[in-house]
Amino acid sequence: MKFSAGIPSGPLEEKWDRHRFELPLVNPANKRKHQVIVVGTGLAGASASSSLAELGYQVKTFCIQDSPRRAHSIAAQGGINAAKNYPGDGDSIKRLFYDTVKGGDFRSREANIYRLAQISNHIIDHCVAQGVPFAREYGGLLANRSFGGAQVSRTFYARGQTGQQLLLGAYSALMRQVDRGRVSLYPRHEMMDLVVCEGQAVGIVTRNLLTGEVEGHLAQAVILATGGYGNIFYLSTNAMHSNASAAWRCHKRGAFFANPCFTQIHPTCIPRSGNYQSKLTLLSESLRNDGRVWVPKNAGDKRAPESIPEGERDYYLERIYPSFGNLVPRDLASRQAKFQVDAGLGVGPTGEAVYLDFKDAIKRLGKGSLSEKYGNLFQMYEKITGENPYEKPMRIYPAVHYTMGGLWVDYNLESAVKGLFVLGEANFSDHGANRLGASALMQGLADGYFIVPYTVAKHLVGGAAIAESKKERALKETCKEVEDRLKKVIQVGGSKTVDFFHRELGGLLWNQVGMLRSEKGLIGAIDQIQGIRENFWNEVYVPGEAGNKNAELEKALRMADFLELAELMAKDALARKESCGSHFREEYQTPDQEAIRDDENFCHVSVWESKDSQGKDWILHKEPLEFKEVSLSVRSYK
Amino acid sequence: MVLKLKIWRQEQGQKDGRFESYVLEELSSDMSFLEMLDQLNENLVKKKKVPVAFDHDCREGICGSCSLVINGNPHGPHTGSAVCQLHLRSFKDREEVWVEPFRAKAFPVIQDLIVDRSSLDRIIQSGGYISVNTGSAPEAHSIPVEKGKAEEAFSNAACIGCGACVAVCKNASASLFVSAKLSHLNLLPQGQAEKKSRALRMVGQMEKEGFGACTNTGACSRACPKEISLRSIARMNREYLKAYLSSD
Amino acid sequence: MKKFFLFSIGQKYLMGVTGLGLAFFVLAHMLGNLLIFAGDKAYNLYMHQMVNMKASVIVQTGLLTAFLLHIILALILGVKNYFSRSEKYARQASGWKATAWYQKTLIAQGAVILVFVILHLITFKFGAHYEVVYEGKTVRNLFQLVIEVFQKPVMVIWYLIALLILFVHLFHGLSSSFQSLGLSHPRFDSWIKKLSLGYAVFVTVGYISLPIYVFFFV
Repeated sequence: MKFSAGIPSGPLEEKWDRHRFELPLVNPANKRKHQVIVVGTGLAGASASSSLAELGYQVKTFCIQDSPRRAHSIAAQGGINAAKNYPGDGDSIKRLFYDTVKGGDFRSREANIYRLAQISNHIIDHCVAQGVPFAREYGGLLANRSFGGAQVSRTFYARGQTGQQLLLGAYSALMRQVDRGRVSLYPRHEMMDLVVCEGQAVGIVTRNLLTGEVEGHLAQAVILATGGYGNIFYLSTNAMHSNASAAWRCHKRGAFFANPCFTQIHPTCIPRSGNYQSKLTLLSESLRNDGRVWVPKNAGDKRAPESIPEGERDYYLERIYPSFGNLVPRDLASRQAKFQVDAGLGVGPTGEAVYLDFKDAIKRLGKGSLSEKYGNLFQMYEKITGENPYEKPMRIYPAVHYTMGGLWVDYNLESAVKGLFVLGEANFSDHGANRLGASALMQGLADGYFIVPYTVAKHLVGGAAIAESKKERALKETCKEVEDRLKKVIQVGGSKTVDFFHRELGGLLWNQVGMLRSEKGLIGAIDQIQGIRENFWNEVYVPGEAGNKNAELEKALRMADFLELAELMAKDALARKESCGSHFREEYQTPDQEAIRDDENFCHVSVWESKDSQGKDWILHKEPLEFKEVSLSVRSYK
Repeated sequence: MVLKLKIWRQEQGQKDGRFESYVLEELSSDMSFLEMLDQLNENLVKKKKVPVAFDHDCREGICGSCSLVINGNPHGPHTGSAVCQLHLRSFKDREEVWVEPFRAKAFPVIQDLIVDRSSLDRIIQSGGYISVNTGSAPEAHSIPVEKGKAEEAFSNAACIGCGACVAVCKNASASLFVSAKLSHLNLLPQGQAEKKSRALRMVGQMEKEGFGACTNTGACSRACPKEISLRSIARMNREYLKAYLSSD
Repeated sequence: MKKFFLFSIGQKYLMGVTGLGLAFFVLAHMLGNLLIFAGDKAYNLYMHQMVNMKASVIVQTGLLTAFLLHIILALILGVKNYFSRSEKYARQASGWKATAWYQKTLIAQGAVILVFVILHLITFKFGAHYEVVYEGKTVRNLFQLVIEVFQKPVMVIWYLIALLILFVHLFHGLSSSFQSLGLSHPRFDSWIKKLSLGYAVFVTVGYISLPIYVFFFV
């Protein structure tokens, strides 16, 4: 199958403007005749819904939560990047572009990232106008901070709750359109499948999570903004209901899945305390600005941290990366923590943690100024662990946090299925092999506010006309398939809970498709994943019926899709015989454990096409990546 | 540790429910309250019984999904936190723990511990926004905001929309929720143009949804996971009167 | 304006205004009562003047209106509040999140105060009519009635109870009125609280001093 990223021609700086000019317009009087479906109400979904409705389209918006305001974008802490250069420290659109390309380890599209950097400034303008209470200086102007090791201060923030404030802004814009009757809202509805007719997305099938009712919705375009698939690891910083099913169902209907193995592991999370653990909590990585990471020098040292003398501590990040020290990028910090734990140097009751020590910072800055900077984070840590970080070093460990991979989209954010657009974390487009801090919020809002409202017109105007009767038939068939799948999973009638399988799969992925991957491990993992999948379909027990509120059934359906996606992740990791960004293959490293990227053979997006409705067989396509503005170089933080 | 749970069970579509007793043993004090419920549910599923339905999502105190009243306290005994941030170390071994849903006429129980809080969404729909279309915003720095005002707006914007204020209020009043949103937007220069209509419409919608009146007991502010100040309610009252007197 | 008072915020405004008016009345009444310590003549002449002054009808009408409005609004809001939570909790909030008992029982307090006021009027305003002549002018000898009434321990105890209830009602009501009227400011909030407490204490102590004085010292 042929596919093209559709990058507009011309100089990088002019591509987006030129493209927007070339995109068709929809007559204002005709806009209300077009029905657009948006699935998900996070930053990307809420912003797309409101912007499309403002333009005059009829929008139906779906979310699984009881209110659109609760989507998991709300949990983002750190901030949002923009190239405003308010502090006058030399930032520019080009520099933000450059940093993002490099940060992604050269596995993303130049044109997309340049557009993202251009749009970043409009996002700030728009959010401020909406009333997002960003931090301000005494003069009343916006404050910026440096984030995630960036050398300029370009991050806008609202205390530690930037995601919440941006989402509430987008949510309020969405609610305004609901009030005006332009958006119909469907909370507690989960997308179960995509309706495809003659190669075009023409609607979706949903399940009402309260009544269990399977409902069909037709539209001229479907916009998917359903987030990432980090929950596949069972333990992650994602919300409990975050899942991959909507995206996976689209993949099964013809949308390509790109770079599924690129998953970001965040270095500063609170480690798990026992087997009952349901999710992990992230602590802003700003903590690494003042905390020092260490482990005992001797394996099996069970002494309390405060009684281990300085001489017997290994401040390993400072030792290995003398110039960046504790501030190395996320992937390196995470991987090094894993090396220490694997070497038996881990601390805490599970041995899966390293210390983040503020003793020196307290000495240097005083307790007061430390609490001003990190008070809420310290409090959060104490609430969860019951330990006081002013007295005892924090225990931290990496956790799955974000997935750079996702459905493949072209420059218009349109997937391989015409009329299906994918936004935010659900697509693969902008972060390459590693996402920089404070870039996720930027991408979600860029996609939703400023890109898709324009690019959707191309499909609405140019898409082939399909007879209503054909669409209805396709809808009916898809509804039937969904109902069969619901029945199928309930009929298994085994004896094991969904969580049992989820924990098993999560542990396997964490060990074999996590921070360190190897050919042997991946081949074994694929085998084991298939085994878990088989067991799942033989032994899972789902109580209750499909025609009711049924949380176990919801979990089971999501789990079934995770079990297929897991295999693709492992296959993708196996096929990418190089180490880049978050993807680290043991075979491709220097003697001092640094990644070896292979630009000659792997400077491409891995684009997987599903060949089998059972989710067992794929064809790998490659979208070559060209770097004209930024020359390929090796990241070095030593 | 051991906990003796009394959990409100109410079937879907039924008007009434009852408390059921469950005893959980060998719990770790490091477990979160919701993880304890997970464990209970896993046990129930293994016994082929219907698990307890409860709303939850982010489990880090920001999404506002959780809606449990524990021993009479919305979100449990601690201040400034949601149920998902409550751990078992806050309970005594063998303690009897009563778990109920948020109760209010405007929050009908859907099933077990799940309630319908769409009334809060409808209040936001009636004016909890600044009307600005995408693409029409002026340059961000053209609107300076006094730092103190920005901070106060933020403190109000921090509301997670959980409804604990309604749950704890003896009158099931939503005053703190409505006033927080109203304060957030009316404090900022961007929100001035719609100040009056916002106050009138949001208060009107609150009334329509069947929430009670405010008796100024302050319980809402003490139960609020984000500790939103009671002053916001005074501000709402003020803004409402001003808007009423000056509108035609 | 009609609609304003149909909403609970508007009703609370009216509640606050009438409450503040009544609070002012109880202060004034209490200060008048203190004349009992100045002897029968001062007390009786003052009371005579109060009842017979020209504005008396206006004051009494205003007072009655405020009182009735306060009661009617309390009932309207009470009914609304009751139905806002049809299903009660099995357990009550405790500790920091609990609502104080005196805030949960405002209507009951109001009911006791209403009964008290009616009985009070029966006892004094419409009670035994003694007369006394000062410098040729005949006035009602309320002083004598007061002395008689507060010789009875039952009456003293009943007044003590009622006045303590008035105290909690005033204490919550005053600061709450400011809040209902939208008067709140970080700099003044703690003062409003303290002032409310001081006012309630002052008024109550002033009232209580009368029966106590009469019972023990006259």
